[in-house]
Formats: sequence, C-alpha cells, structure tokens
Amino acid sequence: MSRFLPPILLFVLLGVLTLVGWARPADGDPARIKIVSSLPRTGSAKAQTDTIVNGIKMALAEADYRAGDFDIVYADWDDATAGAGQWTAEAETANANRAVNDPDVMAYLGTYNSGAAKISMPILNKAGLLMLSPVNTWPGLTKPAMGDPGEPYIYRPTGKVNYARLVPTDDLQGPLGAVWADEMGVKRVYVLDDNEVYGKGIANLFIEECQNLGIEVLGHESIDVKAQEFKPLMATIKGLNPDLVYFGGTTQSKGGQIAKDMVAAGLDCNLMVPDACYEEVFIESAGADNLNDRCYVTFGGLPPEQLTGPGKQFVDGYRQRFGKKPEAYAIYGYEAGKVALEAIRRAGVKDRQAILDACLAIEDFDQGALGTWSFDENGDSTLRTVTGNIIRDGRFQFVKVLGQ
Amino acid sequence: MTSFPLLVAQAESAEFWQTFLQYALIGLTNGALFALIALGYTMVYGIIELINFAHGEVFMLGAFLALTLVLHVMKLDEATPVGLWVGIGLLLLIVPLFCAVINVSIDWLVYKPLRQAPKLAPLVSAIGVSFVLMNVGLLWGGAADVHFPDFVSRHNLLGEDAALSFTYKDLMVVLITVPIMIALTLFVQTTRMGKAMRATAQDPVAAQLMGIHVDRVIGVTFALGGALAGAAAVIYSLYINTVSYQMGFTNGLYAFTAAVLGGIGNIPGAVLGGLVIGLARSFGSGYVGERWTSALVFVILIAILVFRPSGLLGARTREKV
Amino acid sequence: MTPTAKRMPVWPLYLGVLVVYPLLVYPERALAGLTEISVGRQLTYIFIYAILALGLNVVVGYTGLLHLGIAAFFGIGAYITGILTVSAYPFQTGFLVALVASTIGAAVFGMLLGAPTLRLRGDYVAIVTLGFGEVTRFTLRNLEEITAGTRGLNPVPPPQLPGFVETPLSWLGIGADWSLDYRLFYYLALGVLVAVIWLLANVERSRLGRAWVAIREDELAATCMGINAARVKLSAFAIGCGLAGLAGCLYATTLTSTAGPDAFDFNRSMIMLCCVILGGLGSIRGTLLGVFLLVGFDNVVAPVLDGLIQAAQINTSGNRFLTFSNWKLMIFGLALVLMVRFRPEGLLPSAQIEAELGHERKSHRPAEAPA
Repeated sequence: MSRFLPPILLFVLLGVLTLVGWARPADGDPARIKIVSSLPRTGSAKAQTDTIVNGIKMALAEADYRAGDFDIVYADWDDATAGAGQWTAEAETANANRAVNDPDVMAYLGTYNSGAAKISMPILNKAGLLMLSPVNTWPGLTKPAMGDPGEPYIYRPTGKVNYARLVPTDDLQGPLGAVWADEMGVKRVYVLDDNEVYGKGIANLFIEECQNLGIEVLGHESIDVKAQEFKPLMATIKGLNPDLVYFGGTTQSKGGQIAKDMVAAGLDCNLMVPDACYEEVFIESAGADNLNDRCYVTFGGLPPEQLTGPGKQFVDGYRQRFGKKPEAYAIYGYEAGKVALEAIRRAGVKDRQAILDACLAIEDFDQGALGTWSFDENGDSTLRTVTGNIIRDGRFQFVKVLGQ
Repeated sequence: MTSFPLLVAQAESAEFWQTFLQYALIGLTNGALFALIALGYTMVYGIIELINFAHGEVFMLGAFLALTLVLHVMKLDEATPVGLWVGIGLLLLIVPLFCAVINVSIDWLVYKPLRQAPKLAPLVSAIGVSFVLMNVGLLWGGAADVHFPDFVSRHNLLGEDAALSFTYKDLMVVLITVPIMIALTLFVQTTRMGKAMRATAQDPVAAQLMGIHVDRVIGVTFALGGALAGAAAVIYSLYINTVSYQMGFTNGLYAFTAAVLGGIGNIPGAVLGGLVIGLARSFGSGYVGERWTSALVFVILIAILVFRPSGLLGARTREKV
Repeated sequence: MTPTAKRMPVWPLYLGVLVVYPLLVYPERALAGLTEISVGRQLTYIFIYAILALGLNVVVGYTGLLHLGIAAFFGIGAYITGILTVSAYPFQTGFLVALVASTIGAAVFGMLLGAPTLRLRGDYVAIVTLGFGEVTRFTLRNLEEITAGTRGLNPVPPPQLPGFVETPLSWLGIGADWSLDYRLFYYLALGVLVAVIWLLANVERSRLGRAWVAIREDELAATCMGINAARVKLSAFAIGCGLAGLAGCLYATTLTSTAGPDAFDFNRSMIMLCCVILGGLGSIRGTLLGVFLLVGFDNVVAPVLDGLIQAAQINTSGNRFLTFSNWKLMIFGLALVLMVRFRPEGLLPSAQIEAELGHERKSHRPAEAPA
C-alpha cells in the first residue's frame, strides 16, 4: 500500500493546515499596520535599492515605528529573482497579490522599475491599496497623453487614483537633458537606449526636445543588454562624428560598457546619461578613467551634497546611522516612508481607502527632506527640480539646476 | 538603423570601405575570442558527446581569478611596462591552469559517474554545474558588472590620426589566440595523445580495445578545454575590460553556437565558426542595426544548418546505427 | 508485463488534494500566515508550467528530439493572447478564442521550425531550436509596433464567466472577480492541465504515440516498419509546441500581462528541460513531479526561506553571503547534479525506459505485485 501513503499524508497535512488556519484570527492585529516595499533586491540594481530601503527604515525608525495609534511593521520584499538577475513580472505580481491578501498591509512602497509598476498597479488599484513609488519615472504611469495610448487609465480599473510618486518624471528630465546639451553648445548628438520602458522612454523624450532646439540627431539605436561589447556600434558612431552621445538606460543595462567602448573606439566626445546611472556602481563598472570630465548625468532632485536644512539633516543622519553617504535615491525612500506614516496618522483608522484618501490629499508636505510639496490630481509630486552633474575625479559633482 | 539604400549609395566611396574594414577587424578580433572558448566546447563534445553548458562558467571563473590576481596579488595597476607584460604572461599560465583543474574536477566529480547513463542525464548535470559555478561567481564578484583595469595601450598601430583603427590591444588578441590555436591543432594532429583523442572521438569502445586509456584521454580533453577557456578569460578581460558573473552564459552560448556552426567536434570548424559569428555580429551591428545583431547570428546559424546539416566543416557522416 | 491492469489508480487522490485545497479556505490562510505567500496562486503557475513541460515532453521525451527553445512557443502563445485581447488592439476576442488561437498559432510555428530540422541529426536539432528561441525573443523585443517591446502587452483581461456558473460558484464561496479570488484561475489552470494529461495519456497509447517512441528508439528501424519519420516528427513538434502555446495563453491571462520578452528566454527553456529529464523522459507522472519540485522550489520554497531569514534578523549588516537569494542558484544547481547522479534515468521514469535500462529489481519488487 506504499503507493497510497504520500497522498494520504497530503490529506492529513491538509487537515492540520485547516485547523491551524481556523485557529488564526482572520484580520490580524487591529493595532498593527504593515508597510511593505517591493524593489529588486537581488541582481545588479541592489546597490540602489539598498539605499532606498535604508531611507525607508530611517524614516520609520525616526518615528519609533509608530503612526497615530498604530504599531508599524515594515517588510522588504524582492521583485527580482536570482535567476533573472533583475525584476520579473511574476515576482512583482506575487508581491502585489501578497500585499492585497494581507489585511495588515496598508501601504505598498514601490516599484523601482516603471515596467514593474505597470503590472502591480491594476492589482493594487482593485484593492484600493495605496501605492507610493519613490523612483518610477515613466510619465505614462500618471500623466494622461504622455505615455502609451490608454495610459494611465488602463492601470486604474476602478477609475480611482491609488498610485502616487515622489520623483520628477522623465518628461521633465529627458527634455531638460537636451536643453543642457544645447547650452553646452552641442550641435550633433547620437542617441542610444536599452530598449526598456525607462531607457527608451527617456531617450525618445530627449530626441523630441533636441529636434525642437535644432540639435541634429544623427541616429538612434537600441542596444541588446545581454551583449558583451559594443565596439562595432562605436565604430559606426565614430564615423558620424557627434558632439555628444546620449544613453537612455541604466547601470544594469550596460551603461558602463558603453562608456568603456566609446573610449576604446577612440570616440572622444562626451556622454550624457539619465538618473538611473547616478550611482557609485556606475562609476565602478565603467572605470573612473573612462568617465572623468566627459560624462554628464541628469538627476531628478538635488544631489545629497547640495541639500540644505532638513535635507542636510537627512544626509547627516543617514551617514550616522548606516556609516556611509546616501546614494542619490535614498532621500526618496526616506520621503516615501515619511509620507506613508503621515497618511496613516491623518487617516487615524486601519482602513485602506481612508489611508489612500489621506495620502492623496497631502498638501504642502514639509516633514520630509525634499522641501515643501503637494500631490497633484494625477498623484505626481509638485517637485520639479532636475539637476545636471558631471563625473570628475571618480565622483559625481553638481554642476547646476537645469532649466533655470 | 543604417538602412540598405544608404549602404548602396555609399558603396563606391572610400569611407564605405574604411568602415567596412573596421567592422571586419573588430569582427575578427571578437571572433578569435569566441573561437577560443568554442574550442573547449567542441573538444569535449567530440570525445563524450556532451554539450558542456558549464564551459562558459569555467571561463567566467577564470576571468574573476584574473581580476583578483591583477588587483590584489600582482598589483598590476602599479607595475612598470616590463612588469606588466611579465604579469600578463603569468596570468596566461596561472588562469588556464586554474580553469583546467576546475574543468577536470567537474568531469571527475559529476560527469564521470554518468558515462553509462541515458544520454540526456549529463546535460542536466551540466546545467546544474553551470548554476553552481555562476553562484560562485556571484559570491566572488557581486551582482554588478566589475571593471577590469585597462593596461594594454590603445595606441593605434596604423597611426594616431588614421581613420581605421587597429590598436595594440587588438594586436594582443591576435598574437595570443593564433599561436594557441596552431599549437592545439599540432597537438591533436601530431602527438600520441592527440591521436588517442581522435581515436576516442571516433569510437571509444574500439579505442579502448586498442589499448587506449580512454578515461585519461577524456581527462586530458577536459584539461585542455579548461585551459583554453582560461586563456580566453585572460584575453577577454584585458580586451573587453568587464567581468560579471553572467558573462559565462552569454559567451558560452555564442561559443556553443560557433562550435555547432563549424561542425561540432571539429577543431578548425570551431575556429571558423567563431570567426563567422564575430563577423556576423560586427557587420550586423553596422549594416542591419545593433538590436538585431544577436538575432542575426542565430538566423545565420539556422540557415547554414539547413543547407549544411553537419555544420560548415563537419563530416557528412551517417549517424551510427 | 501487465501486472498493473487491476491496480487501483492513485492519481485521483492527488487530484482530490488539489481540488479540495482551495475549497477548504483555511489551509491557504494558514500557509499564507506561516509563509506570507499565496500558495494557491503559486500552484496556479505550477499547473501552467506543468502544461508547458508536458508539451516539451512530447518532443524530447517521446520523440527524442532535444528541444532547447520551448520558451519561445510559450512566449508566442502569450503574445497571441495579448494581441487578441488587450485594449490597444481592435480584436478583443476574449479568452476562449485566444486560447484556441494561441494553441494553433504556436503549433504552426512549431511546424515551421520542425520542417528544416528534420534533416538534422542529434544535437544539431538542439542548437537550431535554441537559435529559434533566441530569434523569437529578439523579435518580440524589437518589433515594438506590434509587441510593445519590453513593456509587454497589458492588461490582459480575465476570461468572461458565463452567467449561470456564478451562482454555483457563490455556493462554494468563490467570488466572481478574477483578480481578487485566485481560485478561479486555479481551477481554470487545473482543469486545462487535467484535460491535457487525459489527452496525452490517450495519445501515448495510440498509433501516433507509439510511432513517436519508435522514432526515439531507432529512427532507421521505425522507417523500415513503414513509419513516415518526417510526418511523425512534425506532429510531435506541432503538438508539443501547441501545448506550450496553450500554457502561454494561460500564463498571460493569469498574469494579466504578456510580461516582457525576457520572460521567455533560454533560461526558461533550460529549466523546463531539467523538469522533463529529471522527472523521467516520456513519463507524464515524472514530468509532473519534476515541475512540482523545480518550479516549486523557485516559486514557493525560495521566497519562504528568504522571508524566514529576513525575519530572523541575522543579517542586519547586509552581508551578501548571508542572504538566501545569493545562494539560490547554488542550491538549485546542486540539487540538479545530485538528483541526476542518483537517478540518472529520472525520478519516475516511464515503464519502458526503466525496463530498457535493466532495472529488473523494480519489476520484481514484492511490495508492488499484490497491491
């Protein structure tokens, strides 16, 4: 009868689980609220997300993990898998569903990748759960007529907004990059992108503005992020003799290799990259010598060194707590944590809808480190600062606030 | 995307031929690297008919060893020019030795017990080993791409202002890979061990009956394959300047493709396959579009196999019945 | 060798466990509480991957053609579903049409790929299928006007429930909203899986199924017996790839998105191949077990262990040697190596392969005969 043993054991297990489940309270602890984040915690985006998670933890720790009458619990979820080395649709869906099904979860901080947000937004929307992204920049997630047809409404099956974000979107950063290039006297530009939602989006916005400004776009090409080197491509670009190469992409999508192969091919023009390359890992993976004095980086917000007042306090506090300088996005993690706590405090009840409403109603928020700002009707923050930076001596150095 | 009409319009001009030559040079240099990795693939396949998916990962570990040696043991970033070349020479001894040891151990621990198993079983083991080694690479170097310091001069051999570029770095690749390939061919064609390898590849049982120590031949094959991967790892690191735990996968895939393209089990075939892939990538990027290059490589592969089912240089043998 | 004729089958018990599990509600809640994971949802994916693996088993297991690009057909199915259902396209045919179209579409692509590979011997088939897989992935990535590139097509709407089932569903306590109650997708995937198994179990014993195995065992001998090798191989490609397309349709519908092209890369094909070979080539039971073990590890065990390690707070400093995700590949790889080392013929090999390898000890095992 040994064949029947395994299924019988399964039935016994089922019975035991039924008893365990029956004995558990269904709605969790009424005095406990859970905040979760869903970010790619494995793979090459880890350095950036580490700093965001640290920012969130810092915000919660400063409030002693309490908001109003509630105890706050934080869980750091991963939407990447080791096998893929980056976020996957499956992991992000699983996280979103896990949040929806856990009655204690009242705020979902994430995602890191705009592509991932597209997947979890409709799921969380149906549950009326607050989704607050520190760093998504694809305009279509919130702004009508700025992204694909149907965006952002396809992400809101209930018709209501449940998604808000803190960082200025690419429709500011991309064009301001072009304006900056124009100010530097660039006449001819070659544009590369990584064919991802973020990279391709920002590259297209950059090109659009170049055309408005009369900068000649010599070509636009998408790279294969699994390729190991881009020497033939660089030879092509060298033949076109541009003043600037713009790469819409991230450190993980071979930003470093692009910089390296440019130098190797004897292409001595400058390189401009967007905020996803604004991290130490970018310099490490490209080799500082390949970037110094020739790589320009745009970034939504002020870099840590330029912050004053509460921003400076945040940078000092972070350094004290974690023993190192915050990466650029840490402050958005911190701000997201603060906003979530404030929304819970204002709502005063453990109810998803109430907390969501309280969050979107936030105006002139000044308890964080970013200054004073509000959410607009799409869920975007009213912050509009985009800065230009250059890599010098192997470090990011602030140049100017763009568009001023 | 550089379009075809443009291509035709340019066909007469000197610039066209200049870029064309440039793509060819890049393609051949990269192809030489693919070929070096492909050799290890093809030799192992020739002997035990195993697609050794772990081969790319051995290559990757070799690159990490090279990086560690360069940064922490030899301190090549501070060395004098002479010291640098001695250092590279040493790397070319130590890393291949290391990779050979890994490859032989894998064979001994994992594949050897499976010699009599169904044909596809070792394939799963190979995939398993590849995951394990990839994880070792992940723990060794982390998830992000790591920069490999740039030692070799990028001075253009054709003159600093020449439009066509062929640097010391490119020359280094050729100067190291070509002798290795020639040496390997001579080894297989002329030595006693080479003869034993060819005999084993043809028919292991008959070879054994002729008094050939088949297990030793297999061991030597794995050692040679590993050493070639190690040499490729050193050159690759010096040439491409990036090391990452995922590099074995992509390069392994291309090397495998190169091996099959040339006729799997065939040594000159692997070299030819590597060069074809290098050229396809480079011309593909130049004339079709960068984002289509990888697809193009596989389209060429399928097309060639449809017309030459045993690869470019593969013997048209009938399957053993 | 037919002592099995009178044996009471054991599979209804396993099916029973799977059918009852979501209805009891409490086991899912208990597991969610213990592991923070919706095991029911993950089981849904496992069912879908099981269909994919069974499709691969037709090509690799029965017919003996090493197929390294099954993920491409999974992707083709998902994208056909996406194109037919998302709001960006005018079709919006709904789930059932998409299901049929995905299956047929993937089968047609499978035959297109099968045709040139018929002349190839042994491992050359492997590289051509691998190449086709990669070409498909890059095409999906680059044909942005059609596939939306890496953004993927979304949202894919859930199937429309016929009105009359809603009341009986509500008796069982199942809500009618697909995204809120996982059980609708769960039963859909389980139902399709059972149908596929039933179909394959019948084909296995049919003329066609025996022809597949004959080709695998000895192509020359099979041809001499009057089997048209080309037709038989093509049919294996068509059915195998068609099942992959079917799985792809379910995947896109369950995920409410086609995901991106990278979800259908060589890695996925490799994992599926491992499931089939580890479970036992040509064995339905074996393939199912392979999928439960390998995909289950990736989707259930790994995140649970990760959660436990995080909860234990042993790694506050962020040391990369102390996170589970940094060891996952190692554990997975070692498991593959060890399982093959000790069961090279697979965990539950088909009776035929077992007999072939001369494991007489099994057929004479006294415990089996009287059962």
